[in-house]
Amino acid sequence: MRSVIAVFWVLYCVPMAVLAQSARQHTTINLPAGVSARRVSALGNQATISRTGALVASVCTDNVVRVWSARSAELMRTLNENAGAPRTVRFSADGRMLAVAYQRGAVKVFDVESWNVTHDLTGTLHIHGLAFSPDSQRLAAVGAVAAQVWELNSGKSLAHVSPPFGGSFSVSFSPNGKLFATADGDAFVRVYDVSSGNLQSTVQGFLLEPMAVAFSPDGKTLLAGGVDKTISMVESASGQTFRTIPKQPGLIWSLDVSTDGKEAAVVYRSAESFSDINHIILWDLVKGTVLVDFQKPGITITGGGFVGEHYHFAAASGNQLTLWSMP
Amino acid sequence: MLTRRDILQKCVALGSVAIAPHFCPEAMLAVFQEREKQVRKPTPPDVLGPFYKRLTPMNNMLRAPGDPGVPLTLSGQVFNTRGDILPDAIIEIWQANHQGYYDLDGYRYRGKLQTDNSGAYGFESVIPGHYPDKSRICQHTHYLVIAPGHKTLVTQLYFATDPVFEGDPAKNYSRDPLIESPELIRPVMLTGDPNEVHAKVQFELCLELL
Repeated sequence: MRSVIAVFWVLYCVPMAVLAQSARQHTTINLPAGVSARRVSALGNQATISRTGALVASVCTDNVVRVWSARSAELMRTLNENAGAPRTVRFSADGRMLAVAYQRGAVKVFDVESWNVTHDLTGTLHIHGLAFSPDSQRLAAVGAVAAQVWELNSGKSLAHVSPPFGGSFSVSFSPNGKLFATADGDAFVRVYDVSSGNLQSTVQGFLLEPMAVAFSPDGKTLLAGGVDKTISMVESASGQTFRTIPKQPGLIWSLDVSTDGKEAAVVYRSAESFSDINHIILWDLVKGTVLVDFQKPGITITGGGFVGEHYHFAAASGNQLTLWSMP
Repeated sequence: MLTRRDILQKCVALGSVAIAPHFCPEAMLAVFQEREKQVRKPTPPDVLGPFYKRLTPMNNMLRAPGDPGVPLTLSGQVFNTRGDILPDAIIEIWQANHQGYYDLDGYRYRGKLQTDNSGAYGFESVIPGHYPDKSRICQHTHYLVIAPGHKTLVTQLYFATDPVFEGDPAKNYSRDPLIESPELIRPVMLTGDPNEVHAKVQFELCLELL
């Protein structure tokens, strides 16, 4: 009997304990009385962490965006532009800009040094997702109506596309910035040419809506997943799915691929209780195995990104915003 | 098939439409017909939501015998903003069951139909439940309406009986952050007897021309 218990301990309890300890809370930010970090409204990341891990920005329930030092929790800036309710936020890849999309479709880009608005763009209603190109020269916004890409130097609109209905939930640029992919409400993933807006390929393998999409660092693979709870790995040129990552109980809410392309951090949203977004798995994409499986009831994961080899994420709980890293 | 003009002329001949003698019947009928085609306001759009599923079968009986919940009949007509009825529109609806859960594995409470010659449609379902997470997302049914030559409509129908509105949808509709227009909240008519209550909701749909 003892040997059975020992085997169970080694095979089940030890790995679970290791996995459970693999996300570390490193910063706690206290918001002003009566204010909390905005949790999910409909769609879109409510928080963003800069690529260096130095700053975190979050939409707050008093309809302003606050920016803090991710290390010291010091409030760096409060952005209140009277442009309506902020919906989603995103730092640029070079960390020099912060884009904020507002309820009525305005998209403002702030300079992270001066906090001046450097670009005041007109998007469409209900923006769900923002993405900067890897060279930070272009910005994409997707929402319930359309997907748009702007060239930031000129402020020129490069592409304005929309699926037949339902808009798009998520957008990702290819590493060379020439293509962008959208996860669309009509249950397709589409890849477009940035400069012309021409459709390059369509991923047809979904029945339910994909809600997250990301290019691999080599640009050859797209990762996408959503309500079907499965991550599909797709050849970006042909749109053919060549591999899937095992299904989990939750819906795929967001996914990020590490800079070496070997790992993906996937945030899952409960299929039973839609406001529960507290489960995150770090996948080994080469082996298709779980590296870290972290779930914590009572928190809502609101955004994240890879900082070097580690995945950092923000979570709202009460009037605190907590910052975590894994592994 | 008789045109609307033919029918009006027949009405005049049979006496069901009388025209004052000093007016030209042709001109009066033309004006009457034009006024009938009053400009309609397009149905406000709403978000698609994350639970749309492709390849939904043609089916308007979404409720199975013995299903729990309040039986519901959803019906109406489809028009365009010019007032024309749209007999060839495809309406697809999907909703949660009475406990607030969507069927993600199959097609329960998902159905699709083509409007009949009068642009009419009807689905049999149950009143959808609130999401189980106790959020303020109101009970709703999703609509996707596609008709050739018209802008595709994605919208949602809400129920005036939803407790979130506390009986006053016009005042309290914004409690649900996704409801942008109180026009999407429809009155509910309860029929039957207390042992077998049945809800009926009329939802007219109006599409914009391309």
